[in-house]
Amino acid sequence: MKTFVFVLVTASLLLAACGSSAAPAASTGPVTISMMMWGDPAELEVWNQIVADFHQANPNITVKVDVSDWDSYWTKLKTMLSAGTPPDVFAMDAPLYLDYQSRGVLLNLQPYLDKNPDMLKDVYPQTLEAYKTPDGMYGLPRDFQTIVLFYNKDMFDAAGVAHPTANWTYDDLRSAAKSLTKVGADGKTTQYGFYADPWDMELIWSEGIWANGGDVISTDHTKTLIGEPKAREVWQFFHDMMFVDKSWPTSTVAQEYGGDPFLAGAAAMTTIGHWAIPGYSEAKFKWDIAPMPKGASGPATSVNSAGFVVGKASKNPDAAFEFLKYVVSAPAQTRLAQLGFAVPVLKTVAESDAFLKQKTPITQQIFLDSLAFAHMKPVFKGYDEWSSTIGDGMAPIWTGAAELNPTLDTVIPAADEVLAKNK
Amino acid sequence: MEYGLKPLGREKFWLWALMTPTIIGLLFGALGSIVATLLLSFTKWDLLTPPTWAGTINYINLFKDQKQLVPLVNTLKFAAMYVPGVVIISLLVAVMLNRNLRGVGILRTGYFLPAVTSAVATALVWHMIYGRDTGILNFLLERLGLPAVCWLCDDNAMMSVVIVNIWGAIGEGMIIFLAGLTAIPRTYYEAAEIDGANDIQQFFRITIPLITPSIFFQTLIATINAFQAYDYIYILTRQGQGDSTVPVVVFSIYRNAWNFFNYGGASAQAIELTVFVAGLMAFYFWLERRYVVYE
Repeated sequence: MKTFVFVLVTASLLLAACGSSAAPAASTGPVTISMMMWGDPAELEVWNQIVADFHQANPNITVKVDVSDWDSYWTKLKTMLSAGTPPDVFAMDAPLYLDYQSRGVLLNLQPYLDKNPDMLKDVYPQTLEAYKTPDGMYGLPRDFQTIVLFYNKDMFDAAGVAHPTANWTYDDLRSAAKSLTKVGADGKTTQYGFYADPWDMELIWSEGIWANGGDVISTDHTKTLIGEPKAREVWQFFHDMMFVDKSWPTSTVAQEYGGDPFLAGAAAMTTIGHWAIPGYSEAKFKWDIAPMPKGASGPATSVNSAGFVVGKASKNPDAAFEFLKYVVSAPAQTRLAQLGFAVPVLKTVAESDAFLKQKTPITQQIFLDSLAFAHMKPVFKGYDEWSSTIGDGMAPIWTGAAELNPTLDTVIPAADEVLAKNK
Repeated sequence: MEYGLKPLGREKFWLWALMTPTIIGLLFGALGSIVATLLLSFTKWDLLTPPTWAGTINYINLFKDQKQLVPLVNTLKFAAMYVPGVVIISLLVAVMLNRNLRGVGILRTGYFLPAVTSAVATALVWHMIYGRDTGILNFLLERLGLPAVCWLCDDNAMMSVVIVNIWGAIGEGMIIFLAGLTAIPRTYYEAAEIDGANDIQQFFRITIPLITPSIFFQTLIATINAFQAYDYIYILTRQGQGDSTVPVVVFSIYRNAWNFFNYGGASAQAIELTVFVAGLMAFYFWLERRYVVYE
């Protein structure tokens, strides 16, 4: 029946699309705005606090928060947008931002930002980059992620391997991963040295390619660059770790460990963002973090933000902007820092104890210092389809079913086709 | 063939009055959305901006775009293994359990259990069974001195998901066949026994011909289910961010629409699925006229 449910949804959307489009009214008196985001119960709790604080500071504006899980969030959002009744404020993942902005469903915030010139002066400029368009910003970041190296201290100490340092290179990573891999008497690997999810660029491969002096996509987003010689060296390097050293489990094996062999205590290292910390703090082993290793062109990591945008059809754009302004202010950013899922975008808060002294005792400063060599996760129209074309296309390599180079040679033209289609 | 009484006079009015809500629902819900999907399949639509006419490009892409062709091939392969598998195995199970054995109720319940259990939960359990390094199945194989198999690796994944899907569908098939089997009068078997027919002969000469209506019905249902199968397959073969090593058409429709802003293409895929199912249905009904025996 799923087909019919789908058909039903499509049809109702079509009907809804023909419906309402009301003119925004100027807001005086008390207003209620809706805010929608993805997240889990812990995040909802913090956002309810932020919203309550905001209401205290702006008694005229009440914010109604609606939280869904990641997948339902986007489905729900698209349905509401196409019906012409989007939430006033809603969360946005930076790489997907242009998919929405280019389709004219977001409000241009530039006029508001021009009236509040000091509002963003303490925000990390790297996190603002993603939201800039030729005619201004249509969204603001709320928090960001840099990718760092996580390592299992217990495994390192048991194997007598020196802990990773800021001077580590990818070769150091590889040789440590090799020494940390354990094979049982029956020939089965009982412990892997390293695991990172090879599907999405953010976790390992964009960092690897950037560190080697390559790039993933041309600056005008018309050409996929992951098949250039410098990128190929990196793919080969990762491929060798997985299939020659066998220190990196294939994605089929990784699924056996719930998709995260590091958390499952089966891999000694992983590269992931700040969002993993709440989950990892429950782990039974001791772990710590280090910056991403260096490649031929020095160190490189990825920076990506989550932000908020305002629906163009919002009836209360002024109130919506007030809320956005509050989200990037110190009180809200402090609450976000305490949540511990991400790094606050406001420098003064990120560099304060609210962020640096969280209950998981690791050197949080590493996430901030990584900004110095961070590349922005690309943001362009068609991102989701492009990244899925690559992720899906390369997936057989990481299960061991397909050869590296021939697969790359078929994936790249397919990815370029997606780029051409979305021009 | 006509059944029951014909409504007369005022009854006719009430008949229609009471059916109106359902008919409206069908017209707008089912028929309306089928027409809408058909129209959308000829457009380029991203949901957020108005649809534009796209001609037949979405239909060409069904076969040109690897992201859409691979799922189609997978779905057809899946159906080709799943439909006969479900029909034959659930028929055998039903025949086995169609006797007055002690504890037959427990066995029937056992076979039916997957049908009433959450597919996601059971698929996760199957995932543990199939694991290459940590799986129960490989543990048993190795105990028997056999080599371990990577059940969910690309070569075997299709077979492995077909097994799980058949396992999940045996219960419902069994119920349908049991109903058909209990309707066969015992006297036929008694007469056959007196005439000296053995069990095998009885099965092929009496049972099979008399339950052809159930076989027909079960094949129909299994085919529809095969083209809509999704949950077990996705849970068992998902990779990283929402990808699957055995993508099927339903999965591809969802991704195409909701992740790739390609509602026109997704609609074309929905139509494609409908055409395949409808074509097979027509073929089945043709077979029905020739081979199905109604008493």
